[in-house]
Amino acid sequence: MSEERNIEIKTRQLGVTFKDNEGKDVAALTGVNLEIYKGEFITLLGPSGCGKTTLLRCIADLQKPSEGDVHIQGMTPKEVRLQKKFGFVFQQPVLFDWRTVKKNVELPMEIMGYSKGERSDRAMEMLEMVGLKDFANHYPNQLSGGMQQRANIARAFGLDPDILLMDEPFSALDEFTKEKLHEDLVRIWKATNKTILFVTHNIQEGVFLSDRVCVLSPHPGRLSAIVDIDIERPRPVEVKESTHFNELVTKVRNSFEGGSV
Amino acid sequence: MREKMLNIGNKKWFSAVFWILLLLIIWEISAIVVANTKRIPENILPHLYQIIMAAFSGEKVSGELSASQAVLTSAGQTLLRGFLGFILGGVIGFVFALLMKMSNLLGKMLFPYLMLIQLIPVLGLAPIILSITGDINVSRVVIAAILSFYPVATNTLYGFKSVEKEKYDLMYIYAAKKHEIYQKVLIPAAMPYFFIGLKIAAPMAVTASILVDTLQGDGGLGCLLSQSLKHAMSIYTFWLIVFFSAFIGIIISKIIGLIETAVSPWKRRP
Repeated sequence: MSEERNIEIKTRQLGVTFKDNEGKDVAALTGVNLEIYKGEFITLLGPSGCGKTTLLRCIADLQKPSEGDVHIQGMTPKEVRLQKKFGFVFQQPVLFDWRTVKKNVELPMEIMGYSKGERSDRAMEMLEMVGLKDFANHYPNQLSGGMQQRANIARAFGLDPDILLMDEPFSALDEFTKEKLHEDLVRIWKATNKTILFVTHNIQEGVFLSDRVCVLSPHPGRLSAIVDIDIERPRPVEVKESTHFNELVTKVRNSFEGGSV
Repeated sequence: MREKMLNIGNKKWFSAVFWILLLLIIWEISAIVVANTKRIPENILPHLYQIIMAAFSGEKVSGELSASQAVLTSAGQTLLRGFLGFILGGVIGFVFALLMKMSNLLGKMLFPYLMLIQLIPVLGLAPIILSITGDINVSRVVIAAILSFYPVATNTLYGFKSVEKEKYDLMYIYAAKKHEIYQKVLIPAAMPYFFIGLKIAAPMAVTASILVDTLQGDGGLGCLLSQSLKHAMSIYTFWLIVFFSAFIGIIISKIIGLIETAVSPWKRRP
């Protein structure tokens, strides 16, 4: 099936090397060849130190690769960034205390030069989508952690980006909030048809959300397997109890290389 | 919830009354002890009622003026200079912090000088500034400005530096221009710190203004302060000035607090 689909992001022999405290080179990421299709939900999964965030940052143009390259829609990450085609969701909500929830969602649109009315309409639409419409005029410090992360997601979708990059967005949230947000994220993804790159260290989360799970192993950070998640959508929460789901979890777990982590 | 809030309100009120009462008791005991040492010509630490009576007495202490009139007249001059210096220092402090944030090199070059200025005592600085400006009033404004400038500059700079990496990353992802980053992220983020700087600077500006009065004469609260002590014009006048200055300090910091709340609605409790 993959032959007929458009490739949106392609990395070729991507590698990143950092210098450690003693000035020695440390390979954070080596030889990553990855093709991501348009409209795909893909997870970068691995323990800390495996380079999953580094890979995400290379794609977002937040990190320059030491070797190899990244192509997105035939352009460099920088060109794509300057065209404002990325949405980025950090682990922390990164909301601005002095702006209301609605004004926070409007921020990227202000930078894009949307008109005031357009900004307001679009922000309300996004807030409705994440279930925060009634909290539009609240300030971030009046919201719970889960609600703050919803606002963050609404902001990322506000510019209607082609590609949404999410760096462990739910890892600081409790299980109940996380499950609810999983459901919402998949619904929004289906409705908007974005390409989503989702970084996590939680195997169940990766399997539940994704079309494919990219397993990364540490020392040096590398892509060690790509596991197709052939569970039919929509996926109810009960899917997590099915044999097939657990087989896939086991398959992903067994794909890690490097033994003890 | 509401009851709980009322309770907290009561506690705050109670502790304020408690501390004031305690202070009054300590004051009065000290006044009695000092009175027993028989200081002449007047008790250096009078009873509070004596000070209060002095405040309302029409007795002339300085030319044609009663104690309260003298304090208020002098206070006008001193506070005006202090206030001008404070505003000047606040504005320059903010601009300096901005410049130091915009250019690391400039920051590294300027910072040692800021420290240096701050290390020179006001007593040493006053004659130098007077000889440079050549005008006694201008020199007092400048000194108040120098003293207010430092806390505002350092706190605001700290505010700029407190902005997390993720916020820069976010603005980078959205390809924001440099002026947008300043306008939408850095300056609003530094505001609470700027206000902390102002709160520290305000009493310093007033104190400096009073202190310089005592050195250079020519009117002002400080001048009256040293006169009332030296010539024993009236020890009550001395204490009136002390209380008045403390009162002004509290009022100014309250006013700055109110301005801060007015411009930062997110700080109001929900």
